[in-house]
Amino acid sequence: MCLALILIPFFSIIILNLPPREVNKRIAFGLVLILTLGQMFLVFFPGCNFWKMNSGVFGSMLKIDLLVDNLTLIMLFCIGLIVLVTLFTSRQFIGPIEKQRNFINLLLVVLIGMNGTVLARDIFSLYVFLEITAVASFILISFDKELLGLEGAFKYLLLSAIATILMLSSIALLLILTGSTGFSEVQAVLKTLNPNNPLLILAVGLFLAALFIKSGLIPFHGWLPDAYSSAPASVSVLLAGIVTKVAGVYALIRIMVSVLGFSPASQAVLLLIGAVSIVLGALLSLTQSDFKRMLAYSSISQVGYIILGLGSGTALGIVGAVFHIFNHCVFKSLLFINSAAIEKQTGIRDMDKLSGLAQKMPVTGLSSLLASLSAAGIPPLAGFWSKLIIIIALWSAGYYTYAVIGILAGILTLAYFLSLQRRVFFGKLTREFINVKEASFSLVFPMVLLSVIIIGVGVFTPVLLDKFILGLGNILGG
Amino acid sequence: MIAKILLLPILIPILSGIVVFFIPKQLRRVKEALALLATFAVLILAMISFKQVSSYSFNWLGRGMDLSLRLYNFSSFMLLANAGFAFLIILYSVTFMKGKDLLNQFYAYFLLTIGFANGAFLADNLLLLLFFWEGLLGLLFGMIAIGNKGAFKSATKAFIIIGITDLCLMLGIVLTGQLAGTLTISKINLPLNNLANLAFILMMTGAIAKTGAMPFHTWIPDAALDAPLPFMSLVPAAMDKLLGIYLLTRIALDLFQFTPLSGLSTLLMVIGSLTIILAVMMALIQKDYKRLLSYHAVSQAGYMILGIGTALPVGIIGGVFHMINNALYKSCLFLTGGAVEKQAGTANLEKLGGLGRKMPLTFICFSITALAISGVWPFNGFFSKELVYDAALERGLIFYILAVLGSFFTAASFLKLGHAAFLGKLNPANEKTKEVHFTMLIPMIVIASLCIIFGVFNWIPINHLIQPILGTARLEGHNYSGFPTNIVLVMITFIVLILAVVNHLLGVRLKGSALHAADHIRYAPGISQIYALAERRFFDPYEWGLKLVNLISKISWALDRGIDWIYNNLSVRLSYGLSYQLRRAHTGNYSVYLSWSLLGLAAVLVLLVIL
Repeated sequence: MCLALILIPFFSIIILNLPPREVNKRIAFGLVLILTLGQMFLVFFPGCNFWKMNSGVFGSMLKIDLLVDNLTLIMLFCIGLIVLVTLFTSRQFIGPIEKQRNFINLLLVVLIGMNGTVLARDIFSLYVFLEITAVASFILISFDKELLGLEGAFKYLLLSAIATILMLSSIALLLILTGSTGFSEVQAVLKTLNPNNPLLILAVGLFLAALFIKSGLIPFHGWLPDAYSSAPASVSVLLAGIVTKVAGVYALIRIMVSVLGFSPASQAVLLLIGAVSIVLGALLSLTQSDFKRMLAYSSISQVGYIILGLGSGTALGIVGAVFHIFNHCVFKSLLFINSAAIEKQTGIRDMDKLSGLAQKMPVTGLSSLLASLSAAGIPPLAGFWSKLIIIIALWSAGYYTYAVIGILAGILTLAYFLSLQRRVFFGKLTREFINVKEASFSLVFPMVLLSVIIIGVGVFTPVLLDKFILGLGNILGG
Repeated sequence: MIAKILLLPILIPILSGIVVFFIPKQLRRVKEALALLATFAVLILAMISFKQVSSYSFNWLGRGMDLSLRLYNFSSFMLLANAGFAFLIILYSVTFMKGKDLLNQFYAYFLLTIGFANGAFLADNLLLLLFFWEGLLGLLFGMIAIGNKGAFKSATKAFIIIGITDLCLMLGIVLTGQLAGTLTISKINLPLNNLANLAFILMMTGAIAKTGAMPFHTWIPDAALDAPLPFMSLVPAAMDKLLGIYLLTRIALDLFQFTPLSGLSTLLMVIGSLTIILAVMMALIQKDYKRLLSYHAVSQAGYMILGIGTALPVGIIGGVFHMINNALYKSCLFLTGGAVEKQAGTANLEKLGGLGRKMPLTFICFSITALAISGVWPFNGFFSKELVYDAALERGLIFYILAVLGSFFTAASFLKLGHAAFLGKLNPANEKTKEVHFTMLIPMIVIASLCIIFGVFNWIPINHLIQPILGTARLEGHNYSGFPTNIVLVMITFIVLILAVVNHLLGVRLKGSALHAADHIRYAPGISQIYALAERRFFDPYEWGLKLVNLISKISWALDRGIDWIYNNLSVRLSYGLSYQLRRAHTGNYSVYLSWSLLGLAAVLVLLVIL
């Protein structure tokens, strides 16, 4: 049944583009709204029939195996949430009706790609859905057909192409080694193989490198700041909030947990890349003056934490990593919406030219403060708990150095976020901004929604911890 | 019935103190009436419960921290003495404090002090004792701080010194409780071995510091100048002696098995005799009525500590007897000082003189109490000092010599004080000075009379108040009342007193002025240098403490700046420097990014192979 998450968007695209093509914009908007809300709603009923596996007509026809576990569910929720939020923000930024329909078409394609990615339980299906997501993203980045957007899209395209090559080679190697592409089949055969088999090492290395590129980890991150900062505002929200998290980080977790399995060598690589990304990403954020570019480098740093959690190789570490994905989706998309609101209201993205906006844009100011503090790991906001779990996991697994790096880098995180707050929202309101107003409802609503999630999840984490969050750990055993 | 009454001496003053605090300024009479009434009620209660035995206890905080009070001969004696002083000094204050500021605070602190002191006397639990003891510390600060302009500094000094010694007491109490396994005072009786020695010293420090022993005395002369006078008369002169010596006696007699063989006994005697001689030397050269008295308040504490430190029954009786005697004459002396200050407008001896004709009753009270403190027969000070001498001589000649020498200087300094203030030429500015109001006279006269009664009829206090404290077993059938048995010691005392008079007359002849009668000692070779150092507060441990604290704070400041620099400059510069370098590497050229990715791939593969 859960194949519907892929099929309904697919048929929606067809219906929306049938003649007469002058379908009301509201119908398209409402359609995506219902789809995302439905997806988020269903996640709360993991026991219902919807999630049961079946090899129905379409399943057998398409030969696509689907997988549902806690990790999948939480990712589906994130996807629904961020696509919903993107939908709202897009109303401010995408111009004529024709463009809006195009945008919603592409949004549905991305939705199909991401849902497919998290549901796939076959390496090749995973690859196909990643490509669907990526191609739609290229077009979205260059949606405005402006020079910078095209440049950003090109860099993403280029490095994604490399990632595709690496991934396909790796899949080919795994197929040679195991004779199969299904997650469980491959994993079963790999367990019997000699871990020093050169082909296996090559396959692991290629796959990891491909996903590092997709996740934008240092030194594979070259495309990321340009793509994030040059994309249209609402696309940045989508891209930073969820696309790279699904295409890169989720895929990495899934491949490590369900296919390749942890080995001391792969853990060492993950930890090293994670730590380097945290520290260098944070350092790079420190001196950026472009709002979105700073957020982009901050994303690299935050993804570093997720990889560090994954690298610990323990159930707790993976819990922290997945929890941090969720938190990162929320606060990073909130921050991108904040930057969108400011760009919309003032036309400026250079933080050095902004000042004192909290007085004129209270919702934007307060929500960005919340998001910044959550990102910096200040209790009791949501980001604190996921970082805490990651660091506890590292410590108890014996990776003391990495735990300390994680804690110290928190100071850098706080430094650049507070510098952002000081430059943009506090300080004296200059005459230039005396007439600035708060953003309109379609931006304020997502900001409030995401702020409530940050506070709510943060405050209720101790309650949720046993019931929901720690349950994530069972993906390792299962 | 009597059991519940035990709470009243504590609660009545505390509650009325709180009420007094909120009575508006306009109703001064109501305030005074309430204070008088409360202290009078406590006095009546103390009289009713005198010599009664009872105890009252209820579970307060659990785990052995009970609110337990115990009334027996010693604590009922203390209760009565405290209540008596409190009532008389409140009576005195009614007139003395007229027209002064901050009366609300004065009466409130005064009453609270009495309540807390009563609590300390009655407490039969070490923690409860500590609770009241620390409450007194806070009130001490408040009482001094409401004095003159400079009072706040003196109050801080007192608070720090007493606070530190109270901390010792607290540690001592914890240790004692740990060693004994209980906090109930009447159940503790520890032999003095390793840790118990430490506990003894810690608790003793708290007790003798309260009494005003050296080197914890330095706040008293400062407070004498700044604090309200009735406070000086009540607290350092009387109540602190009662509290300190009460606790010291309890420590020596009940809590620990204290014997003359113990090294701690010698330690106490050294502290006592040094306090006697050094403080009295300082008293000798003072030129302010109250400051001179305050040094005597310190010096006299030395006799008590010396007496108890001997660990002999005669010494302990002498010490406790001296405590009550000192409380009497010292508070009365302070009251005469207040009377002089009130009427003549100053306590500076250089501006006083000839007041005896203008204030005859005050002069008589002063004379009686001055004779008593100098140890002249037949006043009370004579008898208690003789007992202490007796005990000191038995333990060592040097202690006796120091004690007698102290007596010499005491007499000398009171001859100087009386001569300078009450005799000689009248200062023309004081032509119109009159005798004080009767409410101030009554307390002085009552206390001065008690000095005579406790001297002439010394069997009353010794037989009824003091000897029961030791119990019949320790006394071994002795009775220490009546005229001293050792006639040689009495003769020496008389000779010393006569020498003091001769010395005074000689001094007056040499310098031609009563005020400078001690100058030949003051400027004697060898001694003058020591005095010069003392005047510069060289011997004040508080000053040394301040210097040390300043040094530590300077070092900490430097450290703090250094660490601050690491945080605020070094780390920030380092981060920004790195950040700029990294930014420069991001040229935006996709071939560069491409090569990074491929290098990364190579590195991942290499790492996987190596590990």
